[in-house]
Amino acid sequence: MIDHYDWPGGREAMLRFGPDTGPVVVMLLPLFEEHNRTRAFAVTICRALAAMSVASLVPDLPGQGESVLATQSATLADWRNAVKSLSEAQGAVRPVFMASMRGGAVADSVAGVCGVWRLSPITGYAVLADLQRAQSIGGEPNLSMSGPDSPPVNLVGNLIGWPLFNELLNDDVLREALAPLRTVRLESDPAPADIKFPGAPLWRRAEPGNDGALAQLLAADIADWVLACGG
Amino acid sequence: MAPRIARGQEGTGLDQIGEADVEATVRAVLRDILGISVGRVAAFTDDTELFGALPEFDSMAVAGVLTELEDRLGILIDDEDVDGEMLATFGALTRFAAARALH
Repeated sequence: MIDHYDWPGGREAMLRFGPDTGPVVVMLLPLFEEHNRTRAFAVTICRALAAMSVASLVPDLPGQGESVLATQSATLADWRNAVKSLSEAQGAVRPVFMASMRGGAVADSVAGVCGVWRLSPITGYAVLADLQRAQSIGGEPNLSMSGPDSPPVNLVGNLIGWPLFNELLNDDVLREALAPLRTVRLESDPAPADIKFPGAPLWRRAEPGNDGALAQLLAADIADWVLACGG
Repeated sequence: MAPRIARGQEGTGLDQIGEADVEATVRAVLRDILGISVGRVAAFTDDTELFGALPEFDSMAVAGVLTELEDRLGILIDDEDVDGEMLATFGALTRFAAARALH
């Protein structure tokens, strides 16, 4: 179901799955190229959650997807503001959980949610480094920005303005979750996690892909954890 | 921009890693990132041609392969060291990764 939510800067589209009552999981997808590669996978997780009677939302962030805000005008502050507005609106009527994947973690520290679930979280700094690597491996000059007067930079097709570039550059530590945190990773990932699952990192592949089995495992983990947190 | 921060280094138990582990990791990364079957990857030898020969291993896939190697092996790869030579064969890529993982 296609729906929308409001935030101080305007109105954005979102996908809505599952029941109208009970806990709702706000899914924050990876950023930029990784978003494209994992969108179908994320929707598969949401559909699996719905089958487990857990609702979920996949919001466009300002400057993403169908947003009327130009991509180069997107800022991390706006993303966080939009997620906060969505969470507060939902939180007025049902328990809200955040579930972020990869760079979505830059916007998941919202007050008032019941819990935060993260899949292979990365910092804004790492997001930017990945884009710059793809850019330089592709033979393009290694683009950086010097200050507020720099024009938006095009990193492998993603237009990024100075505010967002600077915000991501300085986001070099995973933000503390403001609610109980559960970190999930793949078995191939040596970093610490509460649990690890078998599967390939779809976000690293060149083309979009899906993994139904992994989606089921992740949905079950989210659902179990939501219920355990009293959702 | 400041150098990339190596991930996966703390408490990863990578201190005992050997050449065989590096080779196994390179195989697993190629399998996972390029979507190649287990059987096909298992058959890769030192001389198996990669970049430019494997249809799956194009320039879009290179960044993902390198970053995944960094994460799994706890190493840092300087983009300036990346060239056609170290990507040309399975042996070359493995030796490149091993040089950074084992010291």
